[in-house]
Amino acid sequence: MTANATIPKLETLDSVARRKHKSPLMETAGNLRRNRSAMIGISIIAFMVFLAIFAPVIAPYDPLQPMLGLPDHSGIGRLPGRPPCIHLLGCPAEEPQHLMGLDLNGRDMFSRVIWGARYSLMVGLLSVTIGIIAGTLFGMIAGYAGGWTDSILMRLMDILLAFPSLILAIAIVSFAGPGLQNALMAIAIVSIPVYARLARASVLSVKEMEYVTANRALGAGHPRMLFGQIMPNALTPLIVQGTLGIGSVVLEAAALSFIGLGAQPPTPEWGAILSEGRNYVFTSPHLVFFPGIMIMITVLGFNLFGDGLRDALDPRLNRI
Amino acid sequence: MTTFILRRLLLTIPVLFGILALTFFLTRLIPGEPCTAIYGERATPELCAAFSARYGLDLPLGQQFLAYLGRVLQGDLGDSIRFSRPVTDLMAERLPVTVELAFLALLFASIIGIPAGIVSAYKRNSPVDVVTMIVANIGVSMPVFWLGLMLAYAFSVGLRDTPFALPPSGRLDPGTEVVPFFVQWGLAPDEAAASPLLVFISRLYILNGILTVNLELIANAARHLILPAIAVGTISMSIIARMTRSSVLETLNQDYVRTARAKGLREFIVVMRHAVRNALLPVVTIIGLNFGLLISGAVLTETVFGLTGVGKTLFDGITSRDYPLVQGFTVAIAFAFVLINLVVDLLYGYLDPRIRLS
Repeated sequence: MTANATIPKLETLDSVARRKHKSPLMETAGNLRRNRSAMIGISIIAFMVFLAIFAPVIAPYDPLQPMLGLPDHSGIGRLPGRPPCIHLLGCPAEEPQHLMGLDLNGRDMFSRVIWGARYSLMVGLLSVTIGIIAGTLFGMIAGYAGGWTDSILMRLMDILLAFPSLILAIAIVSFAGPGLQNALMAIAIVSIPVYARLARASVLSVKEMEYVTANRALGAGHPRMLFGQIMPNALTPLIVQGTLGIGSVVLEAAALSFIGLGAQPPTPEWGAILSEGRNYVFTSPHLVFFPGIMIMITVLGFNLFGDGLRDALDPRLNRI
Repeated sequence: MTTFILRRLLLTIPVLFGILALTFFLTRLIPGEPCTAIYGERATPELCAAFSARYGLDLPLGQQFLAYLGRVLQGDLGDSIRFSRPVTDLMAERLPVTVELAFLALLFASIIGIPAGIVSAYKRNSPVDVVTMIVANIGVSMPVFWLGLMLAYAFSVGLRDTPFALPPSGRLDPGTEVVPFFVQWGLAPDEAAASPLLVFISRLYILNGILTVNLELIANAARHLILPAIAVGTISMSIIARMTRSSVLETLNQDYVRTARAKGLREFIVVMRHAVRNALLPVVTIIGLNFGLLISGAVLTETVFGLTGVGKTLFDGITSRDYPLVQGFTVAIAFAFVLINLVVDLLYGYLDPRIRLS
């Protein structure tokens, strides 16, 4: 071993300056790429988004149109009065068959399940977005203003949190009237307190930082301070919570539809399809099996991605 | 400790008041005239006049709210329209099934979840860990009602005529006679003469079976509750397993665990007595806080398995637009939720003195 090899090579100021700087976004993306479960999550979400966007192209039939008497999927002939064979569960080639069979009204299950991706993703994204916007607004105002405003707003949030979320959503929709729109709003409302608390906590920690004080000294007004300075630096936990929240929102929306409060028949929403087939589970389990699997895969995708995003963005956050 | 308990109790009062205010104003969301919305075609002007007088709907809003508060404080949550009975009576009658279901679900979740989490943490990154975490991830992603339907199908159709076949619905086999424990013990001749508490306990069939040493009844009731309990408990099980894993992982890295190993204790003792015992505190909290999940799970699962508990009654109330029932049950569930959270908080403060100080 030579004496030279033991001396570590020092970086010059020049080489440090020339080193490629990674933006925080690139760094997060890099962390995410290394996280296997996050990548599985992203792939599942991408697949579901693809199904949702291209549902009219992918679905072979109209999800609302009864099929009996029409030509069948295998092209063998017209469908007889009895249900066709379910291709995914194995069928002899000469028998009339549909990929996931037909539902009780003779509609193609596969087409309905594909279209269902639209409703579930739409409900998931919209209600989380509404929840985050409203929650952030409440939380930031409470944290920034402090005093009475803070007390009143946060006690309101405590009251919303005092209900098990699904029970409150059920109560809201059963009084406001069933329907996808009311279900979406109810789910958004019950998710507000979680985001409000997070936003408030972030604001409280950012509010006292020197750059904020400096801006105040420069004469920045309240809205500018709140939305221009504080909010961008308090967003990370909200984004993570929002991603994790989409999974539970999709489950809640399906549950509301299942008990008849969300999407109404014949809308091909997964929870509603499940609800229609529930009484026939012992004779036609496919009516229930396929939509349930789709819900599970979608929720799993968002949960895996949310977990990965949390680890990538902030490893200090509590990992459950 | 007393100050801590008092402060927590005082903080609960405004929340309970808020719950009542919120549920009161929720009824204002009903589109149109409440009377016609509730009675539908049966609504006659006389019925509506009586209805308005009964609920004081002709009074100013503030006065109506005060009247509502007064009724609730006297234990009157209104009358169910569908059953024409007080909501509190229905609640007391239907609660035992739900309590039994929730308890079994929690038992299932803890018995499977805690050991799975411990093994997973101890064998970190091993195939056992990976499989446990995959199962836990899938467990939190499944719709409870779907799992219930699939279990019902698998165990009553798929495994029919095998020893594993389980009934898909009901609480006991048809025609089963249940002798309440208070009758056997000679405390009261029948239900009418017994105190409500005794009746409540006797309706927890598994407990009643134990009290009357009736093995057949215990097996009968348990067989009917296994599937719903698994369906309701799966999400909690997954959460408990993940929580236990991360908590044990943390304690396994502590200095005192290394010291325990260094002084030559057996590995099993090191893990169970030093690591696990200290790791279980947050797990206890999570178990307590799972009540919300259990009750939501019960609402969805009882309908699937035909169990006439709180959840199914609430579901029936929703489908028949029985607004007083939905309102009363929501208030009762929220109150129970707040009280259980309070107990968990106090328990946590008792177990971990640092909480009281902060």
